[in-house]
Amino acid sequence: MRKAIAVIFLGIIGYYLLATFFNIPFGIARVLDGVGFKYLAMGVPDTGAANVVTSIVVNFRGFDTLGEVTVLFLAATGMGALLHHREPMKRSRQNASIIVKAGARILFPLIIILGAYVFVHGHLTPGGGFQGGAIIASGFLLMFMSYRSYHVNHVVISRVESLAGSTFVIIGLFGLVYGHSFLANVLPLGTVNTLFSAGVIPLIYIAVGFKVGSELTGLLDTMLKTVK
Amino acid sequence: MYFDPVLMIALPLFAAFLIPLLGRVSKEIPKYVPVVMIGFNLYESIMMLPHSMVKPIIVIIAAWKPPLGINLTIGALGNVLALIISLVGFVVAIYNVRFVQKEPTEKYHMLYMLMVAGATGMVLTGDLFNLFVFLEITSISSYALTAFIRDRNGAEAAFKYLLIGSLSSTFVLLGIALIYGTTGTLNMADIAEKIQHVDSKITIVALILLVTGFGVESEMFPLNGWAPDAYSQAPTAIGAAFGGIVVKAGVYALARLIYTIFNFQGVFFFILIMGVITLLIAEMSAIRQKQLKRMLAFSSIGQMGLVLIALGLATVRGVEGGLFQMFNHAMIKPLLFLSAGYLVYYSGSKDISDLDGMGRKKPLLSFFFAFGAFAIMGLPPLSGFWSKFIIISETIRGGFVVVAALALFGSVIEAVYYLRVVGRLYFKQPNESEKTKYVHASAILAMSVLALVVLFAGLFPDMVMSYLKPAATELVDKTAYIKAVLTAGL
Repeated sequence: MRKAIAVIFLGIIGYYLLATFFNIPFGIARVLDGVGFKYLAMGVPDTGAANVVTSIVVNFRGFDTLGEVTVLFLAATGMGALLHHREPMKRSRQNASIIVKAGARILFPLIIILGAYVFVHGHLTPGGGFQGGAIIASGFLLMFMSYRSYHVNHVVISRVESLAGSTFVIIGLFGLVYGHSFLANVLPLGTVNTLFSAGVIPLIYIAVGFKVGSELTGLLDTMLKTVK
Repeated sequence: MYFDPVLMIALPLFAAFLIPLLGRVSKEIPKYVPVVMIGFNLYESIMMLPHSMVKPIIVIIAAWKPPLGINLTIGALGNVLALIISLVGFVVAIYNVRFVQKEPTEKYHMLYMLMVAGATGMVLTGDLFNLFVFLEITSISSYALTAFIRDRNGAEAAFKYLLIGSLSSTFVLLGIALIYGTTGTLNMADIAEKIQHVDSKITIVALILLVTGFGVESEMFPLNGWAPDAYSQAPTAIGAAFGGIVVKAGVYALARLIYTIFNFQGVFFFILIMGVITLLIAEMSAIRQKQLKRMLAFSSIGQMGLVLIALGLATVRGVEGGLFQMFNHAMIKPLLFLSAGYLVYYSGSKDISDLDGMGRKKPLLSFFFAFGAFAIMGLPPLSGFWSKFIIISETIRGGFVVVAALALFGSVIEAVYYLRVVGRLYFKQPNESEKTKYVHASAILAMSVLALVVLFAGLFPDMVMSYLKPAATELVDKTAYIKAVLTAGL
């Protein structure tokens, strides 16, 4: 009975939400007004990033991105605090088969390179620091799943995390010192569509890439270790 | 002379990222970092006060003028709340220095500092999506801190809080999506100007989603189920910080929504009614509680009900009263929580019935608790009296005599259960059990600061009110706020 009422109630809420969202105009008409249009028009010439999404995420709304990086950092820190154990824990999984093991060793460096490529080219091609970092962490996950004895050094991980996070803020503070506002793009923009362009945007994305990669790797390692 | 206000958010984040490295240098450093960082925020918010009272301080970020980029809009209201949050945050950080013994202490200090930074960001930002990001920072650190003791009850409370909290974040995000989809902007002042041209069928849904979302953090009935558990199971200092920091930021967001962003007159009456219901249900639950901290948690919800009533009046004087009430609650509730935490520790049980005679065994702690209880009940000349007096007289002047009567009734219930505890502390024979650990000087310092602020605000209410008046005016009359943002840098 309670379940039926809950389902009906949810249905009503869902219906109204859907009906409202269908009422919002989308498409070309939507793009041409509001800040979205300005982002499209100014993104490439004024930020130097060929990837407009990156110019929005790292430059126009870079402060939000700093916040999102902090959210991920918080999730990792909170998890670390709640799963804190005095004696070190181990993974419960058995070793994987020889095929997986051999394949993982070949794929692992390739995955890391792909991840690094994605975040280094965040201002040119789709993707960026978050995506690249997640790819790198998936490479480590593959190794964790294949080799029971594969270990990452948590001291190193936490140092990379700290340095990458503070690099983001320091780049922001440089903007405050040399450009009169936090996170301002103080470096030369360069030629659009080349690797060394878009000022601080690639630097921030590289920092984010390192941070997300090390954070997710640390998280996965903590969560996989369930037995003493 | 104040530094760029963006540092109030950037520096705590920076310090939080660095704490793991600093912790390797010396185990002692991490616990002082929040004190220094939040102390800096306190300095900033005091120094900005004379400027923000005159006109809002607009801080541009990443060199993009509003509405293109994100900006901080520090009006009188945001500044006053940032001051409250930093003051409570600073005092609790001092308390934390000696209080936190449970490993990993380093992570505790990181989470605590980020919670304060997130709440500060919420009250300073001028961008709706940025508000959401800081809401996430504040609430995720609160979830982790609630479960920090890592026992069964803490985990349950944190999980409950996590479920309600993530649902509320989803609602907020959906509401923001609706607003962005229809107005094409995320800057709050810009939205406020453009939203009148939007179909009200869409904006009302956005309003409902956002009020529901932020109602969770501001403990509005019936979204406050997380609060009693979270307050009572979290470490004492965190319970204190919830009332003074997290809830204040939530109420600010709610007020900003209904006053500045949206243009619905009906919502004020709704908030008024929800305030009365929140107040009455919370006070009636509080009187039935057997555990001290749960009683304080319900009382905290009741106080927020009173604030909601004041916000629902939509008059300058009413909002002033509401802000004064928020100020009082932010100062008194941590005082009660910190002293209650020690009383519970000494009596060895969470129950009120085991507090008999503590007034003789622990005179100083009991004095602080009694002082807080009298202040929050509204015993003149302590500060709680003035805020309640203003709110109730404004309610009557607004023609809501029944509401005023119900609010008074709630206050009477509140007086009954607080006096019951204070009576037990002083007029009952003490039990035999005795613990001889002494209260740390840092805890005494923290509680004395709060008590002095309460006493000062009670003796000189006009001085406090002179700062609250511009804040209330900023809410009720939004044109100045909108103009300040949209003409920034022109």
